[in-house]
Amino acid sequence: MSSDEIRLEDLLADALRPVDPPRRLSDQLHDTFTAISEAAATELSGWADELSESELESLRDPRNWIRPVAAIAAGGVATGALVLVGFRRRSRLKR
Amino acid sequence: MSEPEPKLLPGESRAEIERDFEQLYRDHLRDVYSYSYYRIGNHHDAEDLTEQTFLQAWRHFPRARRESDGRPLRPWLIRIAHNLASNYYRDRSRRPQTPLDSVEPPSAKHSTEDLVEGRAELRAVIEHLQELPDDRREALVMRFSLGMDNREIARAMGKSDGATKVLIHRAIKQLQERLEASGEFGDGIPGAEKEDDE
Repeated sequence: MSSDEIRLEDLLADALRPVDPPRRLSDQLHDTFTAISEAAATELSGWADELSESELESLRDPRNWIRPVAAIAAGGVATGALVLVGFRRRSRLKR
Repeated sequence: MSEPEPKLLPGESRAEIERDFEQLYRDHLRDVYSYSYYRIGNHHDAEDLTEQTFLQAWRHFPRARRESDGRPLRPWLIRIAHNLASNYYRDRSRRPQTPLDSVEPPSAKHSTEDLVEGRAELRAVIEHLQELPDDRREALVMRFSLGMDNREIARAMGKSDGATKVLIHRAIKQLQERLEASGEFGDGIPGAEKEDDE
């Protein structure tokens, strides 16, 4: 390897230094997924409140499960993301 | 948002999955963010891409963990970021911006003259990096920003080890040629000693 190539690799290492993520990233994640989680909970709650006897009966048909399953899925991913945020916060506290 | 919870197989412990994912997150948050930043070129979208990458990783983590057979998961994580970044460009039809604002003079330089020269060279390197084909630029980001070896880069890019080695070699060569042609490096710098390649 020539000295020019070595120098170029040094320059590349300088130009492409790792970048630390900003602290607001974990806060942003937290806010985003808290909102999604709350929205999913509201959706589930509102949907359950609206149910009549006949609708409850119709829920025995799996073809009618799409709406609650979608709401649960949104809540699920939000929960996962909140786990992430927890990791981030805990690791920040340990520093 | 439609991503469901990750699917666990019977016998898999959720606590164990969460613990391993936490470790992955701690180990590679900076890698994913750095990759995203150099792909996208601004902090705002890099944050968004990092967030989306870890969300998608969380969704598929149990399966990736099972199939990794003990191999590092960083290439898998970077591949997720790579795919999301590709979608980002396709959706928004834009190219990365040059992150010149983050460039500082190299720490190893000493004299004022060296500092000025070093800064100019760095800027030139970054500018010409942006002109490289996407796969070459990306391979250089993985190598020099994330410190990935050829095998990891190959897995992240879905290429063979040999093809990756050639890709990186050509990327460096092309960058060097562009810098020299523009008079911003090596023989092109006034007063630099000319090396005989023959």
